[in-house]
Amino acid sequence: MTDKQYAVILVYSTSYALRAEKVLKQAGISCKLIPVPRHLSSECGVCVRIERADQEAAFQVLRTARVEMERVHDI
Amino acid sequence: MVKIVDARGLPCPQPVILTRNALQEDDTVTSVVDNETAQRNVTRMAEKAGCAVRAEERDNGIYLHITREDVLLEETVSQPVPTLAGGPLVLVVPSEFMGRGEHPELGQILVRGFFHTLGEVEPLPETIIFFNSGVKLVVEGSPVLEDLQGLHERGVEILVCGTCLGYYELKEQMAIGEVSNMYTIAETMLRAGKVVSL
Repeated sequence: MTDKQYAVILVYSTSYALRAEKVLKQAGISCKLIPVPRHLSSECGVCVRIERADQEAAFQVLRTARVEMERVHDI
Repeated sequence: MVKIVDARGLPCPQPVILTRNALQEDDTVTSVVDNETAQRNVTRMAEKAGCAVRAEERDNGIYLHITREDVLLEETVSQPVPTLAGGPLVLVVPSEFMGRGEHPELGQILVRGFFHTLGEVEPLPETIIFFNSGVKLVVEGSPVLEDLQGLHERGVEILVCGTCLGYYELKEQMAIGEVSNMYTIAETMLRAGKVVSL
């Protein structure tokens, strides 16, 4: 597929994930809503995958939009 | 003597039906169609029935020269349904959402998660069939298009119900897969070893 490096941003709820996706897209940051990878959590949940290179910009956008982030993982 | 089936101007699935009927009487049939979808559907039906197909584009249509090879059409058509272990895995997507519930937003989150995950788990389905509002997932701007492209590159066949695309007026926007008809969809489901519905 691609050799892009990704990170996932875990948030506290599905509605935060949706809002995160919306504001990131509005800011022109490419992202994808995906299920939380199995090795990070066994619970059913969604998170936002971004490119690692965009991480700082994404944090900025999410902080401004008051989307609370739980944690961030490289995948 | 070659039998000619003039299927120009006929809506799907007429070209397939007429060609199939002609092949039951003659070993060599030339079907004339006027669009690529009909060409693909007729070709697929003929090849599945053990025929060789040669396409020739002329000014007044696409001529599909179909020759029955050693296998008899009747035998192919009446093949016993494969056992569960033997047949392919077919995934059907009857809706743009995964599951049913009062909140479509959740159904969309799930369907997106499902197609992302499908790229990471085994076994891969041999064919994915999209019908009813499921066809909204194969058009431009679909949230799962990228995942479907990845699956397609790995050899997964993607069939899309033409009736449904027409109903939603999405034919022009289709971005992946092959337009299919009820014959192919029904046969693909019936011949599957296992059908998984979303």
